[in-house]
Amino acid sequence: MSLADNIKKARYRWFPDHIVGEVLSKSWIDNAIPFTIMVIVVGIIGTLLPNFFTGSNISILARQYGELALVVLAMTTVILVGGIDLSVGSVFALGNFMMLYFLNLAEFSVTQSALLVVLICGSVGLVNGILVGYLRLRAFLTTLVTLIIVRAIVDLLLLEFAQDMSMSFYSSPLWDLMGLGSVWVFPFSFVVLAVIAIVAHITISRSGPGWRLQAIGGSRRSAHNMGLPVRRIVCSAYVISGMLAGIAGILYASRLSGAGTDTGLGLEVLALTAAILGGNSLGGGRGSVSKALMGTVTILVLTNGVLRLGLNSGSGPMVLGLALIFAVFVDVRWMKNRHKLLSKVYVSPTLMEMPKAQSTEDGPFEINNRLSDVDVIALGEVESPEDVILDEDDNLYSGNRHGDIIRYFPPDYKTHEVYAKIGGAPLGMSFDKDSNLLVCVGGMGLYMVAKADRKVSLVTDETNRSMFSIVDDSRLRLADDLDIAPDGKIYFSEATVRYEMHDWPVDALESRGNGRIICYDPATKTTRTVVRNLVFPNGICTAHDGKSILFAESWACQIKRYWLEGPQKGKTEIVLDKLPGYPDNINRASDGTYWVAIMGMRSPALDLALKMPAFRRRMARRIAADQWLFPNLNIGCVARFDDSGEVIESLWDRYGKNHPMITSMREHKGWLYLGGITNNRIGRVRLPGREESWTGWSSYWGAKSGRKS
Amino acid sequence: MMKLLPTGFMDRFLGRGSAALTVPPLDGALKPNNLLEELPKGIAATAPDDIVLWNDAPLWSDAGKLVSQGGVLVEMSSDITALAVCGSNLAVATLQDGLLLLDSALQPITPEWSAPIQNITALATASDNDLWYCTGSETCTPTEWRRDLMEMNRTGHVGRIDLTTGEVRVLKRQLGYPAGIVVLPNGHVVFSETWASHLVEMSPEGKVLGHVFDEIPGYPGRITRRIGGGYWLCIFAPRSPLVEFVLREPAYRKAMLKEVAPEFWVAPNYRSGASFSEPMQGGALKQMGVLKPWAPTWSYGLVVALDADFIPTSSFHSRTGGRRHGITSSMEHDGKLWLTGRGSGEILNIQLQTEGSKT
Repeated sequence: MSLADNIKKARYRWFPDHIVGEVLSKSWIDNAIPFTIMVIVVGIIGTLLPNFFTGSNISILARQYGELALVVLAMTTVILVGGIDLSVGSVFALGNFMMLYFLNLAEFSVTQSALLVVLICGSVGLVNGILVGYLRLRAFLTTLVTLIIVRAIVDLLLLEFAQDMSMSFYSSPLWDLMGLGSVWVFPFSFVVLAVIAIVAHITISRSGPGWRLQAIGGSRRSAHNMGLPVRRIVCSAYVISGMLAGIAGILYASRLSGAGTDTGLGLEVLALTAAILGGNSLGGGRGSVSKALMGTVTILVLTNGVLRLGLNSGSGPMVLGLALIFAVFVDVRWMKNRHKLLSKVYVSPTLMEMPKAQSTEDGPFEINNRLSDVDVIALGEVESPEDVILDEDDNLYSGNRHGDIIRYFPPDYKTHEVYAKIGGAPLGMSFDKDSNLLVCVGGMGLYMVAKADRKVSLVTDETNRSMFSIVDDSRLRLADDLDIAPDGKIYFSEATVRYEMHDWPVDALESRGNGRIICYDPATKTTRTVVRNLVFPNGICTAHDGKSILFAESWACQIKRYWLEGPQKGKTEIVLDKLPGYPDNINRASDGTYWVAIMGMRSPALDLALKMPAFRRRMARRIAADQWLFPNLNIGCVARFDDSGEVIESLWDRYGKNHPMITSMREHKGWLYLGGITNNRIGRVRLPGREESWTGWSSYWGAKSGRKS
Repeated sequence: MMKLLPTGFMDRFLGRGSAALTVPPLDGALKPNNLLEELPKGIAATAPDDIVLWNDAPLWSDAGKLVSQGGVLVEMSSDITALAVCGSNLAVATLQDGLLLLDSALQPITPEWSAPIQNITALATASDNDLWYCTGSETCTPTEWRRDLMEMNRTGHVGRIDLTTGEVRVLKRQLGYPAGIVVLPNGHVVFSETWASHLVEMSPEGKVLGHVFDEIPGYPGRITRRIGGGYWLCIFAPRSPLVEFVLREPAYRKAMLKEVAPEFWVAPNYRSGASFSEPMQGGALKQMGVLKPWAPTWSYGLVVALDADFIPTSSFHSRTGGRRHGITSSMEHDGKLWLTGRGSGEILNIQLQTEGSKT
């Protein structure tokens, strides 16, 4: 073993490649670029200005930040719904003026004045909202008009009342607190912002109204088609925008107690730049409060910095303009390329050394033709019967890919009926003590079909989230097979947490331990993951003595045992490895041994590729999936093994004529029933010399209980 | 435009041009059909390779034997790799003894060659004493063509032999497995450069004049004349994006050559599907018991009719999952096209439609 090989092994063992893709698939990764820009800008300006990081400077900035961020939030709300609000600056000025007017001339209290101002500014927003939302005018032009008109009104009012206002000076403890005071070390405006930002964040990211807002921004027409009240929501976004701008105006009034013609001038450009620089998409539908806040930090520091560095008078707007065009550029490029990047890095194969397989030339796996004279059931009438099972009355059940459970009637199984409609692809099945049918459904979870009324009910579709997982792995993506322990606990396998059912080939390409064994306890109705990081755990079967469960790890070509009780409780050990193919479902045999379906065979070229993860990664990127090297699932066999892991026999259909591929098998009264996920048939073959009365259900729940080992 | 970087480097960086993994589609005149697959059962053979017209009847090679419809005529000491009729004599290329010349009674009359000739893949006669030949590779015999492909060798050459003097002249070297050659009416030759998937026209002096047919979606082999003008081209194996990809992955390719048995390589073949240990590609996964005919495959049956300008006009196919794969040579005679089907081990013949009649 060379050093290079060892380094390669260690690298794949310890470096979690798959995390890169998972991080990129999180929605918060959109924040990465704005966050970096923010850190860089703060870093540069902070170093250039000598006393930037002093307490007093931070405090002054934080007070301004509170006001500006509220205006940016106002802008963000409207951008999210797919519009733009240019009137925020004028409304801000109006709020500022009205607040001072109410306090100084109308002599209202601070609370009354503030409420009135919020109402007035909200009504300006309402005008915008009605024009844009209900009358469907262009947001840009409409709010430009509002900008001009409201600015004109403020100027007129200033002309009328400025002199009177400057004569009086309002003062009250609350007003002073708002303007100059702090809550602990935080300026009042900052605290107001914090409260509003938290509420807004929860609303946008975690509530129905917020989701609807983003849905409309993402696609107005689709939102309309799905029945959302588009007009009302668009209108209300402008009202909220107006109110937020009003609150910012109040805070500004409290800080400076003065109204001038230049109040809030150009604020709309500042707010727009901040919102876009923070990563809110100008097209609508994508954005968040945190993005708005980050963008505001960047812009505030940038404009303040340029001002205090004493650059030429034109340089401030210049910096702003450059920042805006940069932000728009990044927005467009990121939106365009993010999913491309994700699709390139998500698939992350790992190094897997396959042991030399047991021979199929001789020994128990020697190829034979014992399945060539299989009785074929429901040929062409069933598609994808992954698992088959029989009840005590000899009825045969299977799933199909249309999402039903089909029941076939004995003795010849020529007729069948839809037993239950599930809605997802049924995979592994099992009968519980009361003959209720439990079934794993790909993409949906664990379901139960009641014996009495065939009612389909959800048993569980989530488990506890792993401590250190990046993506939320609590939801079941590919529940595969199940079995029930003597104490009634249901153990089931989830083949992979990274892919959906029909993407199983990609999981095979990765061959990482992406799967897990999960236990559902009917007594407490809780679901817990018991074994993690398994390589496509597939079939699962309770041992004959009920003290352990056996499960197959398909891509690892091995069968493992998980101890439920005894000295080894909670531990996992290998029972059978070096299989020549990929094991699928495991079920009990009548003589105390186990049947395992080998769903496909290994090939040397693929085994070699498994040692070369980088090769597989490039293969996944560069050629289409139908050209990838796959596990060969076109031929398989059924094998029987005992508790010690000794393979006793195997049954093959050498030419794949009657029963091409096999994912499951059940022994029942001297017959073996075969299911296969890519088949259009169920097979049945007579097993000579087996116990004629043995059934699966009685082995688990019958009076004498088929425990022999 | 000024080239700052070599094309190969830029291609690899951008994954285009020579680094692209795409394979030309079977389209136009190469649109798939089932004509080869639907042919009646042919004459059984173990490893048929080349077929020629000898004494007005088909004569083909089957491993080391020369066979006609009447039965085995003569057996050589090693496998025959190419045949050509030179007037009343027969040129026979063999694995171990190189090029042999037999007279009309099939008795050896081989002259002394001025240079040893090995690994001959194709022969073509310009006149009774003037023979063109293709050596596929200096290191791999014609039976090891898959190894030559996967080793990415470019050691083949095309040469010319004077049968009276035994003088051998090599006219073009460093070719990617030339495996078919035909003499044009104007004295030029066209040979197939198999690993480059194109046909090259060359003057009798060895000057390359250009590619007459390129971007072939398979590996072109022997070329023979059609009666009435034009040519038949046997494409003995399909190209596949996975093989193109593996060829650009040196580490995997070398490990595969070293560790994996040749019959289980990721490489094209004359026949496939016999063993589950062969590599399988995603699209070849059977659904509801059916293997789709457009699924990726390691072997394919394809004979193309080319006009006098080497533009394809029609084709005969045996698709994925079929048996008539790996057609290695063709010979038109008396309204029939005779084919050696290496994949199915058969000598096939197709009744050609007469000129002008269309059904």
